[in-house]
Amino acid sequence: MSHELITMDINTLIEVALIIVKVIFVSLTLFALPIPLTWMERKVAGHIQLRLGPFRVGPHGILQPVADMIKLMFKEDIVPDKADRRLFWLAPLLAMVPAFAVYAAIPFGDTVKIPFVDKEITLYISDMNVGILYILAISGMSVYGLILGGWASNSKYAAMGGIRSSAQMISYEIALSFACVAVVMIANSLSLLDIVNAQKELHWNIIYQPLGFIIFLIAALAEINRIPFDLPEDEGTLAAGYHVEYSAMKFSFFMLAEYVAMVTVSVLAVILFFGGWNAPLFLPEIPIFWFVAKVAFFIYFFMWIRFTLPRYRYDQLMTIGWKILLPLSLLNILVTGLFLL
Amino acid sequence: MEKIFFLIFAIMAIASAIGVVSLRNPVHSAISLMACFFQVAAIFVLLRSPFLAAVQVFLYVGAVMVLFLFVIMMLDIRKATISRFVPGGLFWIVVILIALVYEILAVISKSNLLARRVAAVRLDGTVAEIGKTLFTEYLLPFEVVSVILLVALIGAIVMGKKEIK
Amino acid sequence: MANIFKKVFFVDFLKGLSLTLRYEVSKSITMRYPDEEKWLPYQRFRGLHTLNRDSQGRELCVACELCAKTCPTKCITVVPMEDDKGIGISDRIAKVYEINLVRCMFCGLCEDACPTTAIRMGRDYELACFSLDCAKAEKKRLLAPKEIPQELDGGYVIKARFERTKEGLKVRPDLSKKKRWW
Ligand code: SF4
Ligand code: SF4
Repeated sequence: MSHELITMDINTLIEVALIIVKVIFVSLTLFALPIPLTWMERKVAGHIQLRLGPFRVGPHGILQPVADMIKLMFKEDIVPDKADRRLFWLAPLLAMVPAFAVYAAIPFGDTVKIPFVDKEITLYISDMNVGILYILAISGMSVYGLILGGWASNSKYAAMGGIRSSAQMISYEIALSFACVAVVMIANSLSLLDIVNAQKELHWNIIYQPLGFIIFLIAALAEINRIPFDLPEDEGTLAAGYHVEYSAMKFSFFMLAEYVAMVTVSVLAVILFFGGWNAPLFLPEIPIFWFVAKVAFFIYFFMWIRFTLPRYRYDQLMTIGWKILLPLSLLNILVTGLFLL
Repeated sequence: MEKIFFLIFAIMAIASAIGVVSLRNPVHSAISLMACFFQVAAIFVLLRSPFLAAVQVFLYVGAVMVLFLFVIMMLDIRKATISRFVPGGLFWIVVILIALVYEILAVISKSNLLARRVAAVRLDGTVAEIGKTLFTEYLLPFEVVSVILLVALIGAIVMGKKEIK
Repeated sequence: MANIFKKVFFVDFLKGLSLTLRYEVSKSITMRYPDEEKWLPYQRFRGLHTLNRDSQGRELCVACELCAKTCPTKCITVVPMEDDKGIGISDRIAKVYEINLVRCMFCGLCEDACPTTAIRMGRDYELACFSLDCAKAEKKRLLAPKEIPQELDGGYVIKARFERTKEGLKVRPDLSKKKRWW
């Protein structure tokens, strides 16, 4: 392999450089995303509750997230007494890294031609032939951050949150994967690129898979621990759940992971069920624009749900997961299979 | 290149596997087991089988280990760290270990089974091929395994039910 | 049957969503208090006291000390003095009239006790300050005309401006711009 390295010509170098640039670009975007998202979430919350939301820092409070960031950076970093220090450090990273790693396989668009240079670049870091499996596997990993963070804190609330999140993860991961399986059956491929390309010209999966989409949405909500399934951090009963002992930057890592996970789920919903970057209703195709627009809609939708629904009880959560979603998703696969045959 | 990566992953895998048995705290053991699974998944990638790697991470790291952690967290960790699981100290462990290693080496070196199977199927690692192979060549084992799993599932449910009554 | 239909199509959930969406686009009821708006209290409001004058500008207070006597927290100090220059309505006026605002509980009993309606509870409620000197309201401050005239009815939000002055933070009302709260 080493002599190949030496003979690497300029084109390969450009390819490698492009990938590096893409990775940096995507991760920077993801790092920056929580800044507008926290602001947006508070604004949505405020207006739904007939309030204004943040208003004092900058025009319409737009600088509030920056202020929060500065606050989080300068807060005291507390490690509880008798906490498992190494795991306590490791947990926020374990929560954050998978959330970012998922994006290695997510396509944001097909290809675009850059003007002047006349070179096509692909709008994805890599097109894995096991794309969706990779995404499900890696995003499932981020639950370790929650479990270990909860356990390492040496606090009852946090431990309860950790246990809850592990049980919740296991219950809903199955339904989530099964909902994806039906999509995979239609597209005949595990690669996300193929899945999107199979949905050209309004053959969006939402039309063929309404049930699958609902299952996906509910399970995804549970996977990313958002209301109505945010039991691991249920303020009412667990104070703040798994991150009750975390402060400062470590806490912000958890928050970051949570927001990135929300974006991931929105992206997945768009790719799997809403035709990815294909334009809706014969509107003109603009690279990336439709994709971002759809993702933004889903992000808004998740916030909207958050301030509409109350939180489920833990036993209700388990009932929904095992007794309703799981059989339904199996039924969905069965029916899809029958149609495909 | 590939060899170097393989060595890195293999050494890490073995190191974390040793960690699993030697670490006192069950949670730490579980973490190193997770790391071990990850290294194995990486080795699968090196073997050009991303599907297996993804499945490895998905099932073992994503589901099985979470369940392990779930159970471990229910235990009283302090008691568990004190107790030793094998009576009689290191001696018997070493004896059993040597016997096991000998057996494995013997099986690998004596039989030509492994070499033949790999040559016969020659997987490219793509999902479609794995699927085809499973449902043609290995249909019977596949079905047997699924029946066994089903039985285990039902058994678990039945055992779980009894306690409630 | 209707129940099943409801469950399958998430009718209740959609209803909830539409409700919150309606709220989302409707006007918020937040009063932007220090920055842009201010609540103008009703006339009956019991805020910082004022000492009144009669139509000819004479002080109404006759320093009878009834308010000081009736005050439950004993926070009013009145020292009377003789005066023949016609500052007050009689020849007895208050030399010192001081209310300790830290102790006052704004019960309004002083107002009731006053035989000449000299003391009235006003509508100034921004009494917080950075040092204890402003916790004492002496005669000059009480006599000074207030930002909100007595006659103006209250009970609504008015436009206001937030100011940082040397004396502290002030919210200056703009009395011409009235605004219903809801
Ligand atoms: S309002 Fe009540 S407490 Fe305050 S000065 Fe008057 S009588 Fe005293
Ligand atoms: S304010 Fe009224 S009650 Fe008090 S001393 Fe003056 S006249 Fe008497």
